[in-house]
Amino acid sequence: MLRIIAKSLKKGIFTEAHPFGTQPSFGFPVIDFSRCVACDECARSCPTGAIQTTAPGPGRKTVTVSYAACIQCRECVSGCPEQAVGVSHDVEVAAYTRQQLARTASFDVDRATGRGVFVEVDAHTGRSLHESAEHLRQRIRGRLGRSLHVRQVDAGSCNACELEIAATTNPLYDLERFGIHLVASPRHADVLLVTGPVTRNMEIALRRTYDAAPAPRIVVAVGACGCGGGMFGEATYAAVGGVDRVLPVDVYIPGCPPRPQAILNGLLVAMGIREARVGSIAAPQ
Amino acid sequence: MTSVIFTVSSALGVAEWTVREPRAGELTLEAEAAALPALADRVVLGLDGRLMSLFASDERLATGRFVVHHIWSLPRQQTFLHVAATIDPAASSYPSIAAKYPAANWFERETMDFFGLIPEGHPNLARVALHDDWPDGAWALRKDFPDDRVVPRVAGAFHPFRPVTGEGVFQVPVGPVHAGVIEPGHFRFGVAGEPILYLQLRLFYVHKGTEKRFEQRPWRHGIFLAESISGDTSVGHALAYAHAIERLANVEVPSRARALRVIVLELERMYNHTADIGGIATDVAFTVAASRAQALREGLVRLQDELFGTRLMRGAIALGGLKRDLLPQGCDALRRHLDGFEKEFDDLITLIIDSGSFTDRVDGTGILTQQAARDLGIVGMAARASGVDTDFRRDHPHDAYAGLRFDVPVEAGGDVRARLMVRAREVEQSLSILRQVLDALPARSDALLAAPLPQQLPARASALGWVEAWRGPCTHWVATDERGEIARVKITDPSFLNWPGIIQAAPGNVIPDFPVINKSFNFSYSGNDR
Repeated sequence: MLRIIAKSLKKGIFTEAHPFGTQPSFGFPVIDFSRCVACDECARSCPTGAIQTTAPGPGRKTVTVSYAACIQCRECVSGCPEQAVGVSHDVEVAAYTRQQLARTASFDVDRATGRGVFVEVDAHTGRSLHESAEHLRQRIRGRLGRSLHVRQVDAGSCNACELEIAATTNPLYDLERFGIHLVASPRHADVLLVTGPVTRNMEIALRRTYDAAPAPRIVVAVGACGCGGGMFGEATYAAVGGVDRVLPVDVYIPGCPPRPQAILNGLLVAMGIREARVGSIAAPQ
Repeated sequence: MTSVIFTVSSALGVAEWTVREPRAGELTLEAEAAALPALADRVVLGLDGRLMSLFASDERLATGRFVVHHIWSLPRQQTFLHVAATIDPAASSYPSIAAKYPAANWFERETMDFFGLIPEGHPNLARVALHDDWPDGAWALRKDFPDDRVVPRVAGAFHPFRPVTGEGVFQVPVGPVHAGVIEPGHFRFGVAGEPILYLQLRLFYVHKGTEKRFEQRPWRHGIFLAESISGDTSVGHALAYAHAIERLANVEVPSRARALRVIVLELERMYNHTADIGGIATDVAFTVAASRAQALREGLVRLQDELFGTRLMRGAIALGGLKRDLLPQGCDALRRHLDGFEKEFDDLITLIIDSGSFTDRVDGTGILTQQAARDLGIVGMAARASGVDTDFRRDHPHDAYAGLRFDVPVEAGGDVRARLMVRAREVEQSLSILRQVLDALPARSDALLAAPLPQQLPARASALGWVEAWRGPCTHWVATDERGEIARVKITDPSFLNWPGIIQAAPGNVIPDFPVINKSFNFSYSGNDR
């Protein structure tokens, strides 16, 4: 016993003083619409439909990128013949609505060449990140204090998100120092941290877990599947899809799986300590 | 290779020409459905065959028939035997082998749930995959069942759990939402005080329609779906899928990529075993060891991030090879990390094994006997901890394993300690394997990290892909339709074969030991439910 204690003391502290700010080689794709010709290649190469194109009228086209269902596979980056898809190095990406994770750009189609000519990035509709942050603060005001009890619910995940959520509790990230504690029962929880695509077989259990949690219960959707169905899609015979198809979601943490820092960041957003950021998504803004 | 065909056909008592070898390591035999049980007997008794998968495919559009497939591993012949039998849709039934070979139990019931094909003579024809609120006739893997069909919820009868009787005997229901950060499943314990009398499982809470999803997606995107079958086995399943596609397309993977695939697969084994050793320590409240293991695991995962760009090595495997090369500085970083890791890991195991209060909790806990493991057809790490010597890396060598020297650790105990020790010894073997690969890594050549794949896969073809991942064998059977697109993917995760093991291992133990027993196996719910 004494040997164990002595050894532990010798090991010192593993916990990193600053878990944030690391730059991975790849975060999410960023489309430079000024170079984009709306050729559909990225949409075709995307395995989840996170990039989609439409033709709203003759001679018109739109390209939409959403981080909600993005699995960060980089197929769009290598698939773009115009080299218009770059990468971000942002880890701490979160949002309050699905719309905030997406950008749409409009194009005129040149009749002669069939190439799209960039017109503009469509104005964002719905609440801005800042407005949503205020709204969430109003909702939780004074109730959560500076600590957060979290009940994790796997509503259909492949367990990769669980691995990264579990990693936030390891000695290096140590989420408990932020006052965040994973609890065993929804009755003790301020937040439900939900992964999935919500499956048909977990939908009822998820609703009951939500009903068992005391108000104001905050719901955080984790991962490409939890945010938008991911590889498994939405409204299939077995999977309902993103968590927001079943419960009202307050914070979205995209990624496949999101890194531990992203999950920590999302929980701090849910506490109202941090404000969510999405990063660039599209250039030019 | 004719000799293998001769050995197998004579053991099966069939004409030599009926056994074909479409690809190395894979024999096929078309049989009458009625002959399936007799063939199973001969495979098991004459060839030491082990059932690896059993499933159906809907080929009514092309031939007007369903087909039932038995996939056997024949370790002595280093080959798989794929027995396929056609079934008349009018009868929609075929003879069961589950009464004699319990490994077939869940497979046959799953086939009934998803195809509506009845295994005649099955001892327990209850649903296994579909929950009570699924209507009858919702056979999701039939071709005429659209992927997006809305399946109404029906009242249904509650899952028939075994009743408990007797004084002081009661049931403890647990799940699907558990107390920890783990996947959902329902356990029903019959207990007398603390000791468990029996355990029943209800799984498939995370059934996502993955096999159906493969049929809806272009085959090139299938690799991303494979990576999401079970997050902790991203590499294992991606490799199994890639193997099947490469065999279908008749593509040779470049030697450097084959070697690097060994590296990613062994790293996956190491980080999972390390994490689970920590998990076992957590479940017996040995927090010092748990923290150490978690830190070690995090170190490996960060190394993986540095080498391959993602923490869990998603996107490392490409169809035809590997996506990203390991640069010389990466090789050096890996070597250095392994040296440091080896010492720390050694310390961790010593710390655990020297602690009497730890070994007291794991010795003799959750015993899965060798007999039970053999009878149930348990595979992988769990089998090796129960004295069953099986490992695809040796018995059906894939990637670069044929040229590597390694032991297959086997422990006789079958308890939590045995599973812990098998994992610890496997990590040692992984270290040796990784060093061997690094020492003899084929030269870099940018053009040859992934073999080019054809625009289209051959039409109406099928192939088997297999991998010994950290938990055990992952097998993917991939079949194409007349356009060369995916017609069917059957995924077999080792968890599907191994879950019944815990039903045997739990009784006699107290409920507080159940978490550590469960952790020592660490089944994938998602891999099982798909």
